[in-house]
Amino acid sequence: MTSITKLLMASVAVLIATSAQAANMPKKIGYVTNYATHEWYQNVIKGMKAHAKELGIDIEVQDANLDIAKQVSAAEDFIAKGVDVLILTPVNEEGVVPLLRRAKAAKIPVVLEGNPVKGMTTLVAICDYDTGYNAGVEAGKYAKDKLGGVAKVMNVGLPLLSATVLRSKGFMDGIHTQIASATLVHDLDGGGNPDRALEVSAAALAKNADINIIYGINDSSALGGLQAWKAAGKSQDGLLTVGTGGEGLAFINAIEKEPSYRIEAAMFPEKEGFTAIDAAVKLFNGEAVPEHIVSPTAPILGDSWKAYYDYDGTTRTIKWAAVNALKPPAKCMQTSADLKK
Amino acid sequence: MHDDLALFAEEPPMAIDIAVPALEMRGIGKRFPGVLALEAVDLTLAPGKVHALMGENGAGKSTLIKILAGVYQSDAGTMRIHGRDVAIKSPRDSLRQGIKVVFQEIALIDEFSVAENIFLEGHPTDRFGTIDWRKIRTDCADLFERIGFAIDPAARTGSLPVSQQQMVEIARALAHQASIVVMDEPTSSLTPKEVKLLFTIIRRLTALGIAVLYVSHKLDEVFEIADTVTVLRDGRHISTRPIGEHTDDSLIQDMIGRRIVDLFPRQRGPAASRVALSVEGLSTRKLHDVSFEARAGEVVGFFGLMGAGRTELAKAIVGYDPIRAGTIMVDGQWMTPHNTAVGVGLGIGLLSEDRKVEGLMGELPVYQNASLASLGRFAAHGFVDAGKERQAVQTYVERFRIKTPSLFQKVKNLSGGNQQKVLLSRWLMLGLKVIVVDEPTRGIDVGAKSEIFGLIDELAGAGLAVVMMTSEMPELLGLSDRVVVLCEGRVTASMSREEATQEKILNAAIGSQGRASHEFRV
Amino acid sequence: MTEILRTGASGRTSLASLTGSGQGVLGILLVVLCLGISAAAPQFYSEANIIAILRQCALVLIVASGMTMLVIAAEVDLSVGASLAFVGCISMAVLNATGSLTLGVLAALAFASGVGLVNAIVVTLFRVNSLIGTIGTMMLLQGGVYLFTREAVQNHHQLASFTALGAGYAGPVPIPLILAVAIFAVCAVTLRFTTIGRYLYAVGANERAVRLSGIRSARLKLVAFVVTGLCVGVAGLILASLMNAGQPTAGRGFELTVIAAVILGGTSLSGGSGSLIGTLLGVLVLKVIDNGIIILGWNQDLQMVVPGVVIILATYFDLLRSRHHAR
Repeated sequence: MTSITKLLMASVAVLIATSAQAANMPKKIGYVTNYATHEWYQNVIKGMKAHAKELGIDIEVQDANLDIAKQVSAAEDFIAKGVDVLILTPVNEEGVVPLLRRAKAAKIPVVLEGNPVKGMTTLVAICDYDTGYNAGVEAGKYAKDKLGGVAKVMNVGLPLLSATVLRSKGFMDGIHTQIASATLVHDLDGGGNPDRALEVSAAALAKNADINIIYGINDSSALGGLQAWKAAGKSQDGLLTVGTGGEGLAFINAIEKEPSYRIEAAMFPEKEGFTAIDAAVKLFNGEAVPEHIVSPTAPILGDSWKAYYDYDGTTRTIKWAAVNALKPPAKCMQTSADLKK
Repeated sequence: MHDDLALFAEEPPMAIDIAVPALEMRGIGKRFPGVLALEAVDLTLAPGKVHALMGENGAGKSTLIKILAGVYQSDAGTMRIHGRDVAIKSPRDSLRQGIKVVFQEIALIDEFSVAENIFLEGHPTDRFGTIDWRKIRTDCADLFERIGFAIDPAARTGSLPVSQQQMVEIARALAHQASIVVMDEPTSSLTPKEVKLLFTIIRRLTALGIAVLYVSHKLDEVFEIADTVTVLRDGRHISTRPIGEHTDDSLIQDMIGRRIVDLFPRQRGPAASRVALSVEGLSTRKLHDVSFEARAGEVVGFFGLMGAGRTELAKAIVGYDPIRAGTIMVDGQWMTPHNTAVGVGLGIGLLSEDRKVEGLMGELPVYQNASLASLGRFAAHGFVDAGKERQAVQTYVERFRIKTPSLFQKVKNLSGGNQQKVLLSRWLMLGLKVIVVDEPTRGIDVGAKSEIFGLIDELAGAGLAVVMMTSEMPELLGLSDRVVVLCEGRVTASMSREEATQEKILNAAIGSQGRASHEFRV
Repeated sequence: MTEILRTGASGRTSLASLTGSGQGVLGILLVVLCLGISAAAPQFYSEANIIAILRQCALVLIVASGMTMLVIAAEVDLSVGASLAFVGCISMAVLNATGSLTLGVLAALAFASGVGLVNAIVVTLFRVNSLIGTIGTMMLLQGGVYLFTREAVQNHHQLASFTALGAGYAGPVPIPLILAVAIFAVCAVTLRFTTIGRYLYAVGANERAVRLSGIRSARLKLVAFVVTGLCVGVAGLILASLMNAGQPTAGRGFELTVIAAVILGGTSLSGGSGSLIGTLLGVLVLKVIDNGIIILGWNQDLQMVVPGVVIILATYFDLLRSRHHAR
């Protein structure tokens, strides 16, 4: 009870702090996303729109649909229209470099979301490694508590992207802080989609089913792994499934219905949108901002998802107070630069 | 480069000694894997004369001219041009020796102008070594004027009709100082008027002392233009005689090796009176108001030149192609046009002129090809009784003496004649009332031809009405009970077997313009 | 019986001719693969793994059975992967709304065969090349599924019978496998023994000849497209059951796996030849490779590379073999 009161108070404080600057608000912000079809970006946009509305800012969104040429022309339109701040989720990193130069010439500040680009002012992004790490720590605690201190992990990963590699790495590092003997039994490429994850996991489990933790770099991968486990006719007793992202409804459904799905490394895309708008306002006012503004993530344990989301059976609604109370780290523990070492 | 273009000199390109043959080929032999295409063939062309080379498909005509053109090399024999021993190893050698072959498929570049095409191999250059476009055009215009062509040198070649493209090819021969011009079936895509023009041009060529080798299997043309005829059959030299010594019959006999009477054994009795097919006022895009009847047991032969509408008529009456007007009655029942399912149901089917494209399922076995139309007969509740099916096919394999190692042989591996027999079985197994055969012996060797003729006779004898489309005069006269002639999509004549003569048929096929071309013969 | 019939018939069934056929080569390849993998990793032959392989094969085999008929008729359907995802979402939504397994299954089959029907109309009526036409429907479906649902359609009905479709067993045999074997058998019998089957080969070998023989070729192609659609319907239900959700992102690249299996099985893309036994072997080879790479713990990128190499080599050897036989 008291903690919730604290959370509420803290969020009210945040709201007051932001609205105090309302005297100097940008009028119009343009956002060019890279792929609006994806649930993650839909929720990012949702968060942006919610926060912009609150601050009285007009926001317009264009979808590049994974096409860099489309992204460049959409951004150029925004620049020509004279938006006050531009937010970009780069389709590819080289492609938007000239855009940054053009925006600079037009004296329009740019906030990047997701991925860094050379010559940028600021980037709003989550820390993938930290997200995995914190979930790993919780998984370790859970294993000590409920699984007899044994941790044998099947990682349904995606080696293609540095972000997802960081998550898997963070997860194992986190689990090791609790259980030194934790092992990575299977390190799989599940393609990031549910049917491929299911197929690959089924083969891996057939080879060796002696695991007790399934980690998925996104919710589809975790669920694919879990479905393979179920299809092999195994009971979920003594199993822990950990998903990552929490961008849609799948994880809520899974926590509610799958006994082993106890931990979600939630990334709060709505909050990322929220943070991007905050950064845009700061840039507009000429305030100093760090190069990487971290958007918070947190492991959600079982039913505690209800602290962050309302769910009416068809849509979910973020509880801003709880999410805004999360304190992000100043910087990530590891980034893609660390992978190259 | 300039000097090579000596054709603009007033004198003939080179001093031609008319006493020395332009070309002497002695004992030419050519073997392909498994086939002896040519065996000890002799050919002598005199300067300033037209020499016809005749023979059936597969007689070796095209192999011989490909050797002349340098496309193939002969395995045996010698060649002398204007008295000099030569060896032709490539198309380039052939051109250099003054031989120009005008093939059926025109070898011009569509996108180039006429003048550019004519000087393709030897562009005149100016003193700076660049191509002299102006000279190309003026030279070309001069050349055309000299030989009487009315073609714009600057026209895009692809925009010209085929006949004019052919003339451009011939003009190319002159531009390259050719002393020997070979024409491979040059009239196959020409209208009668264009044929007349071509013959005028050939006479101009011979007047320049050029030797012309005229390859054809059309009797009337050869009688009109040739001085001498050489006949090949099965890769062998059969005869070389002045045209004056030949009659139609003697030429055909040389070409097919037996008398027409022997080739078409007629065993069937007279036709029944029952009308099996009746076509009334049929019009399509190509056909105009075509009407005819075919009685059971009768062969109705349709003759026409290329483009007269034979294949169009065949496809329209079996329901394969749409029609614009008219009615088709099969065995007294009205047939829905453009619907082969109804057509086959009523008992009319087509043996297409193009076996590969419209008849055979090359990758499938013989028995499946034969049973295609009648498969339903061998099925109960949708399941095929394979034993029954194969036995039925086997009956036809034996009856028609189809040469195949087994019923499971892919039909593409059979010879043309045997493929045609398989396709005929397809229809006979179903049991048709009317069969339309379009060029039934195209691409089939002479021996198998007479077998196919025998089969067609047998079909009619068994009570089918046979509608035969053909461009082969002997086939038409040998098989038909009645002859119908098409010209430009219209019926221009219809006569009984007894009334029919080659002359009457050709006159009707050529139409009004054609009669003029006959008068042209002097 | 005459001499010709006898030699022909015996030549068909003898072992010698089987090893000389493309399927023989594929069968040997399959045996070599299985022996090789199990020598290096004995778990390959564990019951759990065999069931996992067969379950994966089931999904591909079901759609490949229909696709084989289609390819034999010289057409192809590239929309099966996109349709698979859509079918899963639709059936799950209908199940959620009605709570009736029958209605869910009917919705899936109706939708998928409807897609087949549209493909057939595009190809036979509009005369659009099926490679292009079905790329069109593929894109329509990929976009359309997002109009229908942006998120995975979750299982809110919790029907045990639905879960059994994908994950259930009859005795020791997974239910998807039973469905696959049944569909495979029906298609194989149809192709081999019925007039429709024979006409499909004929249409693929020479459509004009078939039309001239009074057979309605467009209807035959329509049948093949709709059958392929129905197969996708069944596969989509199984996949949705296995994943316990209708996933709009599922089925990416599924069409390529299916077509690869069909081609590997010796069915010619130009139509007129091929067999379902070949397709079965093709599916097994591809899925054993896929599974073997994980069992052996190899780099999973090879899951794309190895089948690519196998398809090229198998087609090449088949060409060599048929050239040799032609002589």
